[in-house]
Amino acid sequence: MTYIEWRPEFATGIPDVDHEHREMIEWINRTLAVCGQAGAAKAAVTDLLGEIYARISAHFALEERVMKTRGYDQFADHKRDHERLLDEFREIMDDHEAGSQVIEERLAARLAPWFSEHFRIQDARFHRAGLPSV
Amino acid sequence: MEWLKKAIRVGMEWLESALDRVCGPTLNPLSQLGALGWFLFWLIAVSGIYLFIFFDTGVTQAYSSIEAITHDQWWAGGILRSVHRYASDGLVVVAFLHMLREFAMDRMRGRRWFGWVTGLALIGFIYVCGITGYWMVWDQLAQYVAVTTSKWLDALPIFAEPISRNFLSNAELSGRFFTLMVYLHIAAPLLMLLFMWVHIQRYNYALVNPALKLMIGTGAGFLLLSLVRPALSQAPANLDRIAATVGPDWFYLAFYPLMDRIGAVGLWWLVLVVFVLLVALPWLPRLRESPAAVVHLDHCNGCARCFDDCPFGAITMNSRSDGAAFSAEAVVDADLCVRCGICVGACPTATPFRRATALVPGIELPAFNLEVLRDQAETVARTLSGAARILVFKCPHGAAVVPPAGASVGVIEVPCTGMVPPPFIDFVVARRLADGAMLAGCREGDCFERLGVRWTEQRIAGERDPYLRDRVPRDRVAVSWAGPGQRADRARALASFARALIRPQGATQPGAPAQQRAPWREPLARPPRLVRYAALGAMVIAATGLLGFFSHTPTVRLRADTDAIVTLSFSHAGRSRQECRRFSPDEMARLQPNMRRVGGDCPRGRWPVYMQLELDGRVVYAGTRQPAGLWKDGPSTLFARFEVPAGAQQARVALRESGRDSGFDASASAELNLKPGQNLVIEFKQPGGFTFR
Repeated sequence: MTYIEWRPEFATGIPDVDHEHREMIEWINRTLAVCGQAGAAKAAVTDLLGEIYARISAHFALEERVMKTRGYDQFADHKRDHERLLDEFREIMDDHEAGSQVIEERLAARLAPWFSEHFRIQDARFHRAGLPSV
Repeated sequence: MEWLKKAIRVGMEWLESALDRVCGPTLNPLSQLGALGWFLFWLIAVSGIYLFIFFDTGVTQAYSSIEAITHDQWWAGGILRSVHRYASDGLVVVAFLHMLREFAMDRMRGRRWFGWVTGLALIGFIYVCGITGYWMVWDQLAQYVAVTTSKWLDALPIFAEPISRNFLSNAELSGRFFTLMVYLHIAAPLLMLLFMWVHIQRYNYALVNPALKLMIGTGAGFLLLSLVRPALSQAPANLDRIAATVGPDWFYLAFYPLMDRIGAVGLWWLVLVVFVLLVALPWLPRLRESPAAVVHLDHCNGCARCFDDCPFGAITMNSRSDGAAFSAEAVVDADLCVRCGICVGACPTATPFRRATALVPGIELPAFNLEVLRDQAETVARTLSGAARILVFKCPHGAAVVPPAGASVGVIEVPCTGMVPPPFIDFVVARRLADGAMLAGCREGDCFERLGVRWTEQRIAGERDPYLRDRVPRDRVAVSWAGPGQRADRARALASFARALIRPQGATQPGAPAQQRAPWREPLARPPRLVRYAALGAMVIAATGLLGFFSHTPTVRLRADTDAIVTLSFSHAGRSRQECRRFSPDEMARLQPNMRRVGGDCPRGRWPVYMQLELDGRVVYAGTRQPAGLWKDGPSTLFARFEVPAGAQQARVALRESGRDSGFDASASAELNLKPGQNLVIEFKQPGGFTFR
């Protein structure tokens, strides 16, 4: 089952960024798929979340780099949102750690909007800014 | 060498610890000597430009214009002249301290040779600037500088005509010479500025301005010194007399009295040997280094955070080479990499929460694998117990970690605290590996790897990527910056961090959002304000006193009070060794027509020139000078200066230039009545013969 689907409006037009967006969606889907399996090991999900956390951190770092070099005027806002998202994701990780069992729905209910909301609002705005390429 | 280094280091540590307490780490001048050097350079440049406006070139004008600057406008030119001089003296002190410190702290070894070697060139420039500056004033000191420098340069076998002959007597001196000095005194600092720029090329974020308060304090110190002891000219230069004593600026001219002892050639050898030794120091002995940082392209998306944070400019961002969808990748220049690992701390993929794949970050030190580091943290953490379990990430350059009683402390050594990625701290606290994490690095404001302390602080404070997450409670994250000489401070910091962990206040449960982003720290123990100010005052007085004293005193004796000076000199070509021979008609016939005009064979070689001086029948000088030139066909030159007792005496001077064994080709006698300090110049010229002046 696919939890998040790539949608054309996600595209920023920057190949690096879009490539990572797609990758991330894959990882989230993979994680949720593991959660969905009967008797999913908690540790396996923990590890996968850790993996996503690393990738998302790297992805944001790259996005911020692109924004800075292109002089994106709403960089500060966007960056703040990144940091907030990372904090939230860490919270999801810790909650998962603290919980006694893997609850797929809860994870899915938090992960999917967490991801697509930022896409829809922030990244798309970046895209619409139509900045010249570096 | 090692024990010398250790001894200097212990002394430096002690001094720096004391200064940290008196001035505070941000104002400690010893941790910003390079920047202080830049500041002094600008101070000297600005005051110098002002002085240049009023300086006149000319034998008498040089001295008189400087006198006018000093006295007629003492409130501007006079003070600026003093500032110009004392700041220059200060620059020498700062440069040598800087050098000594980088040496003692081992910061010029291996890959860090560049700053050291270019710095040595800068020391040379400082001396050229200083010496030409003293020359321009054309007072007695300038005369000493002129005569001694010329003598030193003449020892090099590269000048056909001794430079010293330009300073034979007042009659020989030309005003053009001061134009040359002005040129040199402007060109040398400009070149020096270029080298200063080169000097910092391999440092990212090089500090070129010291702390504002330090600049103000230093400037005020020079102003004070200028008012208390203004820099004044000595009596005007007079090449026909030699002063009995002269008060040199020991910061610049200490080599001159030394040269009078060991000779010009001796000084050249000394300078050469010391210079070669110093240049070789970064490789003596060869430094064993672990492998340089490597980039793992599978985990690098080209975000450039390592590039931003590398203190040594070892990382560049290049176009992608592996065909991945990214546009850039980090590339490490192993020749510049000092293996500090600060790049690893900046890499967003360096997070220990990763477990689904191997913990391989985008950039890594092969000798400090992150997976090993994580295992180590977990292993060490398991040995901890009690309510104050502390995991310390410690760099090898700071103070030792001595666990306090009642706390359970595990130490993990990393090359630099800047290598610890903020997620590692998050990991330690969130996964409860320990109750608190401490980053223990070098003395504040003086990181061995330059920027490790600064980046660590900024990452924790959320001012530099990657941020330590806000949700990590800062009362469980401690920093401790202490040099090897500040062991007690570190022990105190650790003990009170342990106490704070046992008695948690406020929101200290892991997971609760941090109220503020400042990490826990134990402020440096500092004496009361009054004591600090007294110490600071004493320090300023000591420093300015030192400059003020050695800039003029002690004096050097140039001759005995009752002695006069005799200078013998010539630039004269001896006679040809062989007479010209006319070609016979036979020989002429064999030559090509265009060659026949020469008409004969004139061998070019000349005889050496021998000269001797007798005073009251006693030979006081005898010397043979070889002809110059590869074919030994140039003039022989002599510049000899020596002391003789003053008073009436009969002088006879004679010269031999025709290869004969006895007898002379020219001679002269004179009744002398030498006054003490008089410089009698006896010169031979053709035509004209001997002159006594």
